Amino acid sequence: MFRLLLKKELQEVLLTTKFATTFVACLVLTVIAFVGGAHNYKVMQAEYEAAKTENVRQMEGLTDWDQITHRVFLPPQPLAALVSGVSNDIGRTTQIRERGELRPEDSRFNEAPIHAVFRFLDLEFIITIVLSLFAIVFAYDSVNGEKERGTLRLAFTTPVPRDQFILSKLIGSIIALGIPFLVSILIGAALLPILGVPLTGGEWARLAVIVLVAYLYLGVFLGASVLVSSSTRRSSSSFLVILVVWIAAVMIVPRMSVLLVGRAVDVPSVDRLNFEKNQYRSQLWNDDGAAIMAWQQENPPRMGNRDSLQAWMDGFKEFVGAQADGRNEKMNEFNSRLNEERENRAAERQRLALGFAWISPTAVFSVVAGHVAGTSLELKTRYLEAAERYQAIYAAFHEEKSGNTGGIRIVHSYGDEELQEAIDPQELPAFDFRKQSLSEVGRFIMPGIGLLAVLNILFFAAAFVAFFRYDVR
Amino acid sequence: MAPALAARVARCHNNRKNGIVVGTDQITLYCPLRTDHGNMDTGTHPMLEAIALTKRYGDGTLALDGLSFKVFPGQVYVMLGGNGAGKSTALNLFLNFIEPTSGEARVDDIVTHRYPLKAKKRVAYVSENVMLYPNFTAVQNLDFFARLGTHKKFSRDAYRDVLLRVGLEEEAHNRRLKGFSKGMRQKCGIAIAVLRDAPAILLDEPTSGLDPKAAFEFINLLLSLREEGHAILMSTHDIFRAKRVADQVGIINEGRLVMQRSRDELMDEDLEALYVRYITGQQQEDGGIVEFAPSMTTAHV
Repeated sequence: MFRLLLKKELQEVLLTTKFATTFVACLVLTVIAFVGGAHNYKVMQAEYEAAKTENVRQMEGLTDWDQITHRVFLPPQPLAALVSGVSNDIGRTTQIRERGELRPEDSRFNEAPIHAVFRFLDLEFIITIVLSLFAIVFAYDSVNGEKERGTLRLAFTTPVPRDQFILSKLIGSIIALGIPFLVSILIGAALLPILGVPLTGGEWARLAVIVLVAYLYLGVFLGASVLVSSSTRRSSSSFLVILVVWIAAVMIVPRMSVLLVGRAVDVPSVDRLNFEKNQYRSQLWNDDGAAIMAWQQENPPRMGNRDSLQAWMDGFKEFVGAQADGRNEKMNEFNSRLNEERENRAAERQRLALGFAWISPTAVFSVVAGHVAGTSLELKTRYLEAAERYQAIYAAFHEEKSGNTGGIRIVHSYGDEELQEAIDPQELPAFDFRKQSLSEVGRFIMPGIGLLAVLNILFFAAAFVAFFRYDVR
Repeated sequence: MAPALAARVARCHNNRKNGIVVGTDQITLYCPLRTDHGNMDTGTHPMLEAIALTKRYGDGTLALDGLSFKVFPGQVYVMLGGNGAGKSTALNLFLNFIEPTSGEARVDDIVTHRYPLKAKKRVAYVSENVMLYPNFTAVQNLDFFARLGTHKKFSRDAYRDVLLRVGLEEEAHNRRLKGFSKGMRQKCGIAIAVLRDAPAILLDEPTSGLDPKAAFEFINLLLSLREEGHAILMSTHDIFRAKRVADQVGIINEGRLVMQRSRDELMDEDLEALYVRYITGQQQEDGGIVEFAPSMTTAHV
């Protein structure tokens, strides 16, 4: 009986213009998303390689490690081609100094703001907006549409159990929507290696997880649509209701959550922080300048004798180094306190906004897909953490090579020094940015996947209950 | 008794003997004799039976008030009545689309609101306006609804034969229903009922909107189904055709059965005049008609 109902459901859907339109639109958009994503990835990969080469090239010929300007770069994530997440918003380049704060620069949106206005047509956009809309178009009249057409009454003059009938509606709509979705994804995935985005085994597994979660996400809208269709008499009413639900879930709730929480939790701006930091830095420099002047007055340089001058230089260097260390320590402490306060507030705001946004399955899917693709909000944090770890390694390397710890550098030339050898940039320690493994991502995505599964079950169960009370006449 | 009818009667006896469903709180005593009101008992139990069937809707409307009648295998029972008289409510109760406020609708002794799926296995239904899946062909619609009702697979020949029998041209068998006229859809609807081979057939205004030729063919088909032993309950406004096919005619007014006559009793009667008299209540003024008493007695235990 169930197989017969399911077969009818699929036959009925597959023969409609609605299905043909959905299939074509889904295929075209998905292929565009994959091709566009692959193109972006290749561009970013080329820029990344060029920037790394340039970074090394500008060091060539230099003889002093103090003269270099060293940068590290965020490697492009292959799956960012499909789920761009925050990958275009965060700076891809960070100048590394031995000490001080690190600031990522040159985000893609910063370089080409037009992309920030229109965003990219990626797979995430197609799933969250286009396919979820198709889901409600598929199922909004699944029950009341049959009632309007009169076929529901005829079907229930036969001994068809209601549970099997509504189950066939739910499963049928899932399969019917799955056909254009999965076929489009498979074609797009087959194109990726051809388009120059070679995915590793792990990345294929991530893509499979994204597709699975997308199915759960679309299932929520299918279940909700069947529920609304089983609770209303007219398909025009059910379409209106489910459209309002869709707009709220997809458009309103995620944005409102950020807006409302932004008002509730005040996070000081980066500019305000920088102003305070600069003020404090100026004050420390003034203090140090005065201390250096005082030291010089107390210890005037003894000219004429090379050894005594060298001894003075060493003393001066030691004093300045100690001042720099002290200043650095104070500055770090001050910056850390300000940063920590801001980060705590920002984290609180982010936590609240995400918590509120989780009312919306769209927000849940976006967060989960971002984590799986490695382009979630975590990307910036992890990139900065990696850069800070690298900064410590680089500082040690630099000190070993130049003998300097940063701050003021005093060079005294006697004019008879031997020519120094050029530095070898290949000696620089490599910057290692490793994205989280799928198992590490698990703890971030499992609550989201669980929530989507629960929403599926709830809507499906509610649709069952509603249909058992439905007047099939 | 025709062989098909005899077989169907035997099947009904078996169902009753096997105790498929037994009413729990009522004993129905059948009067084997033909009554003054035309309730003819053929010696077996009825395939369709309304027992003091009452339906009051949530808004207080009394749609049916103690309706009782029986339809035996090989009989056509025609319900006549104006719009809102309660005919469709009665059919809905037999299909368990609604539950009775009191009383019972039985199909082959099965109480429909207690065992709806079992009851529906024995009932086929053709509505006033048969609505099928427009993107399916006639054969696909037939395949779906017949299999849904019987859980059996049918051969292509079976579909072809039944569609030809109901008068649907062969060239239309594999055409989508989108372009079908109401008469063609009606034929598909009756084909589904025929293929299901249900012992009871419910018809709701089946000739409404059909052209005279299609209506004539439909009535002939109905008569052949009666010959095969199907119990047919039909609601209609079509008095002319009612008289032609009915073994019994019941007139329903404001939810009550106000008259019931057999074919023989109607032989010399003008059914239209009777209908108007009963519906408008003129019989009360004439003083010649008494309130209808059903041909059975119900005792509560």
